[in-house]
Amino acid sequence: MRNRLAVLVALCLGVITFSLVLRAQTPAPAAALAAQGPSAPSKPADLSGDWAPDGRRGGIGQSLSISDNGGRMRGKEIDIPYQPWAREKTLSERTSTGPEPSFGSTTDPQVLYCEPPGVPHIYLWPIKTKFIQTPEAVYILHEYGPFYRIVWLNSKHPDDPDPQWWGHSIGWYENGDTLVVDTIGFNDKTWLDQMGHPHTEQLHLTERYKRLDANSLELQMVIDDPGAYTKPWNAQRYFTLSKTGFLRYQQICSVRENQRFEDNLAKPALTPVK
Amino acid sequence: MKSRTTREPLILVAVAIGLLVASGSVRAHHGATNVYDMSKAVELKGTITKFEWTNPHNQIYFDVKDDKGNVAHWIGATEPPQVMLERGWTRRSLKEGDQVTVYIFAAKNGATVGNVQRIVLADGRELTTFGAPRGGAATPPAR
Repeated sequence: MRNRLAVLVALCLGVITFSLVLRAQTPAPAAALAAQGPSAPSKPADLSGDWAPDGRRGGIGQSLSISDNGGRMRGKEIDIPYQPWAREKTLSERTSTGPEPSFGSTTDPQVLYCEPPGVPHIYLWPIKTKFIQTPEAVYILHEYGPFYRIVWLNSKHPDDPDPQWWGHSIGWYENGDTLVVDTIGFNDKTWLDQMGHPHTEQLHLTERYKRLDANSLELQMVIDDPGAYTKPWNAQRYFTLSKTGFLRYQQICSVRENQRFEDNLAKPALTPVK
Repeated sequence: MKSRTTREPLILVAVAIGLLVASGSVRAHHGATNVYDMSKAVELKGTITKFEWTNPHNQIYFDVKDDKGNVAHWIGATEPPQVMLERGWTRRSLKEGDQVTVYIFAAKNGATVGNVQRIVLADGRELTTFGAPRGGAATPPAR
């Protein structure tokens, strides 16, 4: 009898353990990750440091698709729930990078016009990020531009925000280790990533920044845009502490410098040799 | 304890995976596999004529002379300065007149341009375009 009870307990423990392991390996549904608003008050997460894209965990990549980080399955990604027009728009774009780059003849507005990449596209550039945390707001500084965003703490979105490049962001802390950023009020001029995935002014972006350990930062995102996609979908990026520090060199978008690269390196490589 | 012969294949596999991961990150931004032959790096011995430390990509100009004395003008690109700083480069890493061996993923169309994999200087020092700098600690943060 005692043996049967022990076997039963062991079986139960096994099932619970297995389900926990499965749960840990399966990405949380987008809806579960989406911002529900601040819950219990939490102490601020420690996001200090100079954060560079983590090359061991996807690096900057080309696409926000978790299943297609390199951008080779554009338009066919299993985890991007396109509306038909959004898929067509994506496939109509000429990318500046990725498996089949058009370099200077790209349709990427960020490269073509040196417009702000916006978020999350900023995280697909090889630049570092830094967080300045105050009681009133978190300032997210980017080495590209250099651009910055303000995430207002203890605040609400305006009722009718003006559509803008970086939207309007509010935020709060969760569990003492996570900064949640909730952004609406985007214009529709930016791409979500290097692969030309579009969005509309209805985009509602949720970002969760969590320090995994002393050297690692995780960013989990939910892209919720009923104007372009049939349901919310997940994206992620990972960062590691930089060795060289923040903004030692500024990544500037200069039409003149872009043109020089185009003339000297891109055009010769793309021109058919007779 | 595992024997050395048992462990060696495992180490080789680990190193190979590491290199694949590293090469994936170095090509992350301009992973133009249809433009450049990323399957092998061409070895070129030449002389640096100019080094531009600039956005959107560093540009390395160098001349390569063949057996008949003909000179080919090459241009190689790396990631931009803020990335190369992380990898141990500075704007003074190369200068006009340096004798170098350049390993480059060349354009598939035969143009004398490409993405630089690594450069070996005359004194044996090596500049890689990915991973941590060799033979020393990373540069401390500059404020």
